[in-house]
Amino acid sequence: MIRARTFTDARQQAHSNAELNWWIFMRISGLILVFLVLGHIYMTFIQVSEADATYIAVVNKLQQPAWKFYDWTILALSLLHGVNGARYSIEDYVRSRPNRAWVKTIFYTISGVIFTLGSIGLFSI
Amino acid sequence: MYRGREGQWAWVLHRLSGLAILAYLLVHVISISLFMFGEQAYMAVHHTYELPIFSLGLIAVTAGVVYHSLNGLRIIVMDFTGMGVLYQRQMFWGVIALTLLATAYTSFVVIGRLLGGEA
Repeated sequence: MIRARTFTDARQQAHSNAELNWWIFMRISGLILVFLVLGHIYMTFIQVSEADATYIAVVNKLQQPAWKFYDWTILALSLLHGVNGARYSIEDYVRSRPNRAWVKTIFYTISGVIFTLGSIGLFSI
Repeated sequence: MYRGREGQWAWVLHRLSGLAILAYLLVHVISISLFMFGEQAYMAVHHTYELPIFSLGLIAVTAGVVYHSLNGLRIIVMDFTGMGVLYQRQMFWGVIALTLLATAYTSFVVIGRLLGGEA
């Protein structure tokens, strides 16, 4: 991972292009997610009660293509952002190489399954 | 700039809030996806969310997301502008103040609704 304080530092420290691209991705996706996620929380938790998320309400909402797109964008971007963030943590705290490989394999598998589940759910109605 | 000062606390809080939000997100996707298996499966789980403790939990999730968002913007300002690193301490306290303000507003709305009887 990159421990940089500025973009110039990041470019110097990055061992690979992929690592630098992830560093850039975290900033760009973060900027987009600020609006998407705070908007989502405001609309579905603060503006209305959480108990209003009944089966019928959820199905009605997700039938509309605009909400499908909005929610899938959150799902994809926030999972990529979150999984990459957790990868930084794993690399920091799981010090032994074989353990790190196992932890990552299991973690990526679970995240992949949940992403697939969410995507199938969104596009099945 | 870093060890034991505002910069380090900002970093610790960013990492903890990030991991907490990810944990919530994964469970949230599973829980919402239950609608694929019909109304009964979905509502069986969602009825338990009407307990007040889950509303209070969501206030905590909101606080975590607001902090992570605003501190993320602080990081972006630090990374891409020359002045960012110079004012990172002031920006950290600004982030904390705005997070407290947003959390107070969320609590006011949600707890008011709980006390008013609509879960």
